[in-house]
Amino acid sequence: MKAWKYLVAVWMTLVIAAGILIYIPEIPILEQTARNIFFHVPMWMAMFAMFTTSFVYSIRVLNSHDPLFDIKAESAARVGMVFGICGLMTGSLWARFTWGTWWTFAEPKMNLAALAMMIYVAYFVLRSAFDDEEKRARISAVYNIFAVTTIPFLLYVVPRQLMSLHPGADGNPAFSEITAPELRYVLYPAMIGFIALSFWIYDITHRYKTVQSRIENS
Amino acid sequence: MQEDSVAIVDTLTQVYSQKWTGAEQIDQSNAFIHFMYSNNLIFVVLGVTLIIWAILLFFMFRVDKKVSSLEEKINTDQK
Repeated sequence: MKAWKYLVAVWMTLVIAAGILIYIPEIPILEQTARNIFFHVPMWMAMFAMFTTSFVYSIRVLNSHDPLFDIKAESAARVGMVFGICGLMTGSLWARFTWGTWWTFAEPKMNLAALAMMIYVAYFVLRSAFDDEEKRARISAVYNIFAVTTIPFLLYVVPRQLMSLHPGADGNPAFSEITAPELRYVLYPAMIGFIALSFWIYDITHRYKTVQSRIENS
Repeated sequence: MQEDSVAIVDTLTQVYSQKWTGAEQIDQSNAFIHFMYSNNLIFVVLGVTLIIWAILLFFMFRVDKKVSSLEEKINTDQK
């Protein structure tokens, strides 16, 4: 066990405690749910971190044909998906009590986030279509490089051009000077903590998959 | 439904036991209970969240260690 994992454990415990206990100003409609920003937004940051990791290893697969890089690319994409699903579900619950609906097709960020998940589901479906490991590694790496390029457009570029209830749309940055400064003291550590946590889960996942493939190939 | 049966006990509209009125006896309870009741019960939310987080962490540490031991085993086997 490496020391940084203990640090993540302590760090995240403090973030969770602070997120619940810190004083937050009264914000109409949001009220206490403003605390959700400490947990909902870092889900997406962790997802971006994992998809970026997956992207880097997909490029390395094409460069070197090392099967280990393919395992790492797949593991990172899986962990990214887990955080993305957490983000969608927490967003849906939050939407019910602030916008009044679990899901609305009038909301671009929500739907495009779901579409981004679908694009990554296709990555796993594509992987399952090959028996030849070399072929699977290379074709899924090419697809993954395409998939990651859609993420900034689906989650940032397009939603900002459209009318939306979600912060970060209609020309506004998601997190701006109108956001209460108190929220930042927990939000930034929470982003760091959840990204580190995602790397920890990714670390376990790719190591287990490496052992699994070595047993299968021996 | 035998409405005249003596076996039917109304547990929905009648208070069954006085033990559930704990909130009214807060003055007699200890400092920890007082603390948990304060600030609109937010510390109960903190407790629930931290219990979940602690169990998840325990699980993650365990799986991490298991994978480490598998890695060691496979490395010594292949040498």
